[in-house]
Amino acid sequence: MSQKNNNKFTGYDFVKESAGIEEYTLVKNNLRVLVLEDSSAPVATFMVTYHVGSRNEAIGYTGSTHLLEHLMFKGSRNFNKEKNTAIWTELQNIGAQINATTWNDRTNYFEVVPSEHLDKAIAIEADRMRYAFLKDEDRQPEMTVVRNEFERGENSPFDVLDKNIWATAYQAHPYHHSTIGWRTDIENVSTERLKIFYDTYYWPNNATVTVIGDFNKKDALASINKHFSEHSKSKEPIPPVYTDEPEQEGPRRITVKRTGQTGIVGIAHKTPKGLHEDTYSLQVLGKILADGKTSRLNKLIIDKGLATSIFMYDFPFLDNGLFITYVFLTPGTDHKKIEDIIIKEYNNILQNGVSKEEIKRAQAQIRATVAFSRDGTYAVASALNEAIAIGDWTFYTNFMDNINKVKEEKIKKVIKKYFTEDQSTTGWFIAREPKN
Amino acid sequence: MGTFSSQVITNDEVSGVKTYVMPTGAKDVVTISGSMLGGSIHCANTNSKTAALVSSMLDKGTEDKDKYEISETLESVGAELSFSSTRYHTHFTGFCLKNNLRTVVSLLSEQLRTPSFSSSELSTLQGRICGNLERDKENTKKLAMINFLRRLFPSNHPNYRETVNESIDLVSKVKKEDLFTFHKEQYGLGSIKIAAAGDVSPADFNSQMFEAIGDWSSKEVEIPKLTEKAREPKEGSEIIKVQDKTSSDLYIGQPIGIDREHEDYYALMLGIYILGGNFSARLMQTVRDKQGLTYGIGSSISGVSFGADGYWNIWGTFSPDILKKGIEATKEQVDLWFNKGVTENELSAKKTTISGSYKVSMDSTAGLAAKILSNAEHGRELSYLDEYPKIIESISLSEVNSAIKKYVNPNKLYMVSAGTL
Repeated sequence: MSQKNNNKFTGYDFVKESAGIEEYTLVKNNLRVLVLEDSSAPVATFMVTYHVGSRNEAIGYTGSTHLLEHLMFKGSRNFNKEKNTAIWTELQNIGAQINATTWNDRTNYFEVVPSEHLDKAIAIEADRMRYAFLKDEDRQPEMTVVRNEFERGENSPFDVLDKNIWATAYQAHPYHHSTIGWRTDIENVSTERLKIFYDTYYWPNNATVTVIGDFNKKDALASINKHFSEHSKSKEPIPPVYTDEPEQEGPRRITVKRTGQTGIVGIAHKTPKGLHEDTYSLQVLGKILADGKTSRLNKLIIDKGLATSIFMYDFPFLDNGLFITYVFLTPGTDHKKIEDIIIKEYNNILQNGVSKEEIKRAQAQIRATVAFSRDGTYAVASALNEAIAIGDWTFYTNFMDNINKVKEEKIKKVIKKYFTEDQSTTGWFIAREPKN
Repeated sequence: MGTFSSQVITNDEVSGVKTYVMPTGAKDVVTISGSMLGGSIHCANTNSKTAALVSSMLDKGTEDKDKYEISETLESVGAELSFSSTRYHTHFTGFCLKNNLRTVVSLLSEQLRTPSFSSSELSTLQGRICGNLERDKENTKKLAMINFLRRLFPSNHPNYRETVNESIDLVSKVKKEDLFTFHKEQYGLGSIKIAAAGDVSPADFNSQMFEAIGDWSSKEVEIPKLTEKAREPKEGSEIIKVQDKTSSDLYIGQPIGIDREHEDYYALMLGIYILGGNFSARLMQTVRDKQGLTYGIGSSISGVSFGADGYWNIWGTFSPDILKKGIEATKEQVDLWFNKGVTENELSAKKTTISGSYKVSMDSTAGLAAKILSNAEHGRELSYLDEYPKIIESISLSEVNSAIKKYVNPNKLYMVSAGTL
């Protein structure tokens, strides 16, 4: 059979293929479909990624994307408690792993199912794409559920510091607020506002579905066609986010003081959009600085007993992001001392660069990470989900090739370009003594 | 697809080591998961943190390599090796590309057999562990759990937990000599079980592994006999106050007096699963989904392995100002569940959940290796993994409801809450 015939399925246009993953468009409504057959285990993962996240929110309804994600489990036309077909019950009773997550640029819903139940997962996702109930009587109790999720996050000094660093680094762009939103917005956003949000963004032409695992491609595509084709395209264009962050004109600092035991230091620098070519150099730099015992900051900080751990936050996003070095201090370690060590090491790389061996080691670490990101159908879908979110799913399949192109001079270039004092935001969590 | 057990190749040609290799369709990647007896329960002659410090020191240098040489060897090929210890075992886990398997196996053997236990590394490690323990003093979940278990079990029971301050004190007191003594007495052939899954050839894996550790000396290590049982269940409650916390953690439960091998275990496990084992179970469907009182609440049985009499508990989080309401709602569900029992529909649904979860858990090499190792550690035949769904299927409604009545007493629940209360 020719390659052309292999990719011809009723109702679809074939778009492209990369690393075995095929992209199709459902002609009826422009739903993008990614397919990868893998018969390693009798399991399939089905995931819907909506191109909407907390970057699509504004003051007054921060956290709406996430609250809406919760309400999407409360029932839809064919899957609801009244019919004794509630989503959680239908899926958990067949042993499925099921959940949804929301982040800056996307919202995803997924099911890992025994392969014979793939059609059920597809039917559920298609139904709630346009027929979710979104009742006010469901929002009321779910709001307090989400508020408790917010409160659990606020229990963590790291979460609180991270929120404050983003809110300080980004002032105009919606990355200013965290995905969970501000407390009073969670409490007060109306069901009507959530419905507007749903009717604006939950359309097939604003979603990508991914199906990976042990199934017959023809059957899986036919099932997706059958269930999703009943939806039309959105009547209005999906509104773009047009707010750019104004240029930062000097270093920023924030301090969070709460009752606690030990301190945290976070130093952030603005980074380019995820699809920018510099992203790959920044990923390699992150490994050189803090991944593994031979990494530079581990030797300078952990080995000296100054901190319990280091965490590098360098996720690529659709818009500009942050490269943040977080250090969790041991009792008695001075915040300023850690800050000076980190900045000194950035300057050291600016002056002297990194070695070929360091780059080679970082590339080997990333190569293994990429290989393990293909270990299991959910792992592949999850990695693809983040690439879809930043605007190009082949970011995932081409990632290693681009990482292999990183050379010493590129690392020096990104340090010089992004790690300037005027583009920095430094945060300290200071543990306050408990009151008597 | 054949049975699970038919896809795993076992080998015990070297006395004291048993390997379980499962080649899968995963490309290039191999996960290794292994263990041997040697956990905190084996620290009778020293303090209980020695086992944890020994395992944490295994990547800090050997007689021939310092920690940087070890890391360089692994990081240069993107491989990972990590060590940890639990109440009963020392565990090791490795992830690598198939071409680097020999390097990882050889290093694993060297790290297990000839650690250097340098004084300066020990001192740095103790500082880091104590730093993390200091952070636990503000961890509401951990504090509630520790106090809950201290109330249920006496100090020499495997399910007992030290306070955070006691742990800091114990970690600080471990000496270099303690590490050498524990390693000499506990580490060696005898109880080693190793599972490997992924793009791996059983013949190659076994020849490399046996070559690496086959001549290691033998140790006769066993799980010590339990000397004490849980305390008698008694109704009670306590509050742990932690400042500046917006969410509180709640533990409710009691000892059950049986271990995992007891004939009533599966029936009781199913009953507690129906109460709070997943999102579609009763507690999440009522206290969260209907009443909106919590982000998460569930129930489970724990601490029942290796002959220990375990416990069942509910864990949930609540905003401090609605904790009282949350406790009432939770207790109402426990009473309803206890008094009226579970239904045939609920039992049937949970049986299909467990049988489907079994397939889904085979989705990654890490999941497979962990499943095979856990089964082996408990001394079960591989065929148990195939029989498990059938065992679950055979449990009747009356067995589940009888077990709930027999092992749960709603009037003798112990409750600990921690937060800004």
